[in-house]
Amino acid sequence: MNDFTRRTFVKGSTALAGIGMLSGSALFDWAKAWAQTAPWKPEAGAKINLMRWRRFVEAEDVAFMKMVSAFKAATGVDVNVVNESFDDIQPKASVVANTGQGLDMVWGLYSLPHLFPQKCLDQTDVADYLGKKYGGWAPAAELYGKSGGKWIGIPVATTGGLMNYRVSSMQKAGFKEFPKDTASFLELVKALKKNNTPAGFALGHASGDANTWLHWALWSHGGQLVDKDDKVIINSPETAKALEFVKALYENFIPGTASWNDSSNNKIFVSGDLHLTSNGISVYVAAQKDNKAVADDMDHAYMPIGPVGKPTELHLAFPILTFNFTKAPNACKAFTAFMLEAENYNPWVEAAQGYLSHFLNAYDNNPIWTSDPKRTPYRDVSKRTLTPGGLGSLGEKAAAAVADFIVVDMFANYATGREDVKGAIAVAERQAKRIYR
Amino acid sequence: MVDVSNKSTAKAVGRRPPQQIEVSAWSQLKSNRTWLGYWFMLPALAILFLFLAYPLGLGVWLSFTDTRIGRGGVFIGLENYEWLQGDSIFWLSVFNTLLYTIVASAVKFAAGLYLALLLNKHIPFKALIRAAVLIPFIVPTVLSAIAFWWIYDSQFSILSWSLKKMGLITQNIDFLGDPWNARWSTIFANIWRGIPFVAITLLAGLQTVSPSLYEAATLDGATPWQRFRHITYPLLTPIIAVVMTFSVLFTFTDFQLIWAMTRGGPVNATHLMATLSYQRGIIAGQLGEGAAIATAMIPFLLGAIMISWFGLQRRKWQQGSDND
Amino acid sequence: MTDVKAMTAGGSDDHSEGMSYLESIPRRLVTLYLPLALFLIVLLFPFYWMALTSIKPNEQLLDMERVSPFWTWEPTFQHIKKLLFESNYPRWLWNTMYVAAAATALSLFASVLAAYAIVRLRFRGAQTVGGLIFLAYLVPPSILFIPLATVVFQYGLFDSPFALILVYPTILIPFSTWLLMGYFKTIPYELEECALIDGASRWQILTKIVLPLSVPGLISAFIFCFTLCWNEFIYALTFLQSVQNKTVPVAIVNEFVDGDIYRWGSLMAGALVGSLPLVVLYAFFVEHYVSAMTGAVKE
Repeated sequence: MNDFTRRTFVKGSTALAGIGMLSGSALFDWAKAWAQTAPWKPEAGAKINLMRWRRFVEAEDVAFMKMVSAFKAATGVDVNVVNESFDDIQPKASVVANTGQGLDMVWGLYSLPHLFPQKCLDQTDVADYLGKKYGGWAPAAELYGKSGGKWIGIPVATTGGLMNYRVSSMQKAGFKEFPKDTASFLELVKALKKNNTPAGFALGHASGDANTWLHWALWSHGGQLVDKDDKVIINSPETAKALEFVKALYENFIPGTASWNDSSNNKIFVSGDLHLTSNGISVYVAAQKDNKAVADDMDHAYMPIGPVGKPTELHLAFPILTFNFTKAPNACKAFTAFMLEAENYNPWVEAAQGYLSHFLNAYDNNPIWTSDPKRTPYRDVSKRTLTPGGLGSLGEKAAAAVADFIVVDMFANYATGREDVKGAIAVAERQAKRIYR
Repeated sequence: MVDVSNKSTAKAVGRRPPQQIEVSAWSQLKSNRTWLGYWFMLPALAILFLFLAYPLGLGVWLSFTDTRIGRGGVFIGLENYEWLQGDSIFWLSVFNTLLYTIVASAVKFAAGLYLALLLNKHIPFKALIRAAVLIPFIVPTVLSAIAFWWIYDSQFSILSWSLKKMGLITQNIDFLGDPWNARWSTIFANIWRGIPFVAITLLAGLQTVSPSLYEAATLDGATPWQRFRHITYPLLTPIIAVVMTFSVLFTFTDFQLIWAMTRGGPVNATHLMATLSYQRGIIAGQLGEGAAIATAMIPFLLGAIMISWFGLQRRKWQQGSDND
Repeated sequence: MTDVKAMTAGGSDDHSEGMSYLESIPRRLVTLYLPLALFLIVLLFPFYWMALTSIKPNEQLLDMERVSPFWTWEPTFQHIKKLLFESNYPRWLWNTMYVAAAATALSLFASVLAAYAIVRLRFRGAQTVGGLIFLAYLVPPSILFIPLATVVFQYGLFDSPFALILVYPTILIPFSTWLLMGYFKTIPYELEECALIDGASRWQILTKIVLPLSVPGLISAFIFCFTLCWNEFIYALTFLQSVQNKTVPVAIVNEFVDGDIYRWGSLMAGALVGSLPLVVLYAFFVEHYVSAMTGAVKE
């Protein structure tokens, strides 16, 4: 691990030359001072095993590891970081939760802490400390972080799933700016297809892309998997409308979207063959490196508003949790708070180039969001996001429904013509009822 | 070892069946061979018990509970199975698994045997070619699955590109986005990976067939097919039975290939029982249900194995093991 | 022993191809070389594709218009360099070797003993035990994942190579045992009877008669076990956690998939470099495989 860190330092140093960044020794000095005053005193000889999702943007990882070593210098606590891909985080964390050994902290996605709330350390004090200091939490933060009145996880950041489009293709299709409502959005997709500059959205088992945009499609038409009492209400005329909407879109997509995973649209967009999709900012970051022409011609937009008349976006939240069986609860709490302090968080978000969006209101001022206007829409995703629970509770049931791709499969079933409207809804309803029993 | 020079004489003695000698040797054996047998079995059984039977028991128990990841469950009897009985996705995965197993195993057997026969002939660079044939088996499955995924890409597929250049198609083939295309594509990848193992093991079997038999048959005017049918195939059956039984097993429980290429998509069209059990049990956290799907594989698996084992295993071998 | 070998070695050189040398060249072309070439092309193309991808510059990967995708005129060794010198790849390779070798040795040891006991000792209950071992393979690894994880934790093996060394045999022993049983059955019983009469112990019979005659079977079992260990994914993914303990397949996928960006070059370079030692090893073994055919079934 050690030489890994050193090596990535060297590589990342250029990427980190942004503003508000303390130079190496200054960061260590600040970290030491912070450790003196912080409300959590790490246990002597504490060691933290932390699992996080595998980086999307390399510089972000570098900045993260820099915090880890600053934390060690200040507190003497070794943080051993393990990277795992998106899809492996949840099973691995679950195994650890089940067996009670192996990890102290997990930085995961969506509602991970809610899969096993009884195994998560109560971090209300950390959340209150940070909220007070940094202008309060965005509303979605409480939904993601709290369970039964306690904070079981700290929502560190969100990555937005927003519209990525090619400006020239959109203009050629007859639109001056990106459509704000679903009806004209459909028109745009149709026109793009006609111009042979097609759009494409993942309909495969893509845990990030497919879940976010299809939940948006469902909610924008007023469909819901469950109501506020967790009763399954997916069988509704609104769901049927959403299904028709997605089917109409699908017929105008680039071929192959039913097999897409999270990486598919990135690759095709960067190559220049895809002109509209939903994704995090990683397409833009990759295009700046690999295909400048595409990067210069692309922009981002909020998801259009559907018949319900208000934004219904779902973005990918990244909460961090500490297991209650850790031997070093204070060290874990200290590290959680340490990550989110301005001296760390600002350069980190900067390094992520828009990939990570904050839940703490004070970070709106980070210049990353305004220095390049194309990144600006991603600033607000933590404020705009709903939770995968929809109207219902965000707990293990909602997490299971998302992980089992109930909504994604319902849309894919109908769009690809495997089932009719009734059949697609019936399959989803049956599965959902079982999960929400 | 016994004195080598004595062997032929000893053999002659052994052949002549002198009752008294054999009886005493055998009785000496009988007195301790059961215990010896147990000692010999110990390492295998210990490992299998500690790391297989015990966890398996845990797994079957799980299938009768509503356990979720992170919290224990209570006994709910057959509820999981009753639920699966009415679950269209489960039955789709059963269909996919059977299709996948039957088609892939049959092709692997036919092509593998054919390849083994070809490799058994006199060819230049024999060793090199034999080693090359093994390559698909050697490359880590996950990585070859990713390579196949890349070859089947909806946009950058080399196959689509070549066919387009040849003017055979005008649009990219949607290899993994169309249900049937996806099934055939994944089956092909499985066959690709499985052929070397079948071929090389059968080749090993072929080499044990005495060439004198062929020579005799050729002199009697037997056609190549007759030689294959009446000499090669019968002598090869024990090895075929083992290889095919295990080939069926590996195909039936395949996981990596599907998981890396399609995740069971598009729209569950390539979900096998193993991948569905992983998705429901591990990813979605419904351990009990996942365990039930996995347990439900066992009867199907048993059936598949019975067919390949008893179907292929001829009386000859059984007699061999019963008589001597 | 020696004279058995000598005898069979004499009979097993190229005459074993029967009368094939009588066939005419055009006929051989159609019945042998053409199908063989087709097989080789199909079997090797994905490998070629991997190799090519690993030396293609990034910008050519997604560009099928300007450059032919089948070849590259500007090979880059950047992906391979990155793999070998900027990642823990050598370490992962070592881990994989170590785990695969240890698990294979353990499995072969246990399988040889078990197969011999079942086939030749035929102790009371041998058939039952044989059936049970066979049944052991009916257990799909995907469901053993969670219960096994619990067990691995219980035994204190988590994140240790020993977890894999001890768990892999559960996949390997059933197959190797049955494969070896098949080979042991083909060894003439008389050889053993004679040895017994001469006062040899079972252990001596096993090591001096049965094993040398089963070399082809042992090599098959070895190839099978070693490759399976090399390729295993789910267990390695679950039971190992720290970067420095991982095995090649798990580590490569983990290291070179950045969220939603696949680094094709490095991924494929990893597959290539990870396979090459095995290819060399196997080329050597296949050679033996062929020469070791001692005609065990000969009367």
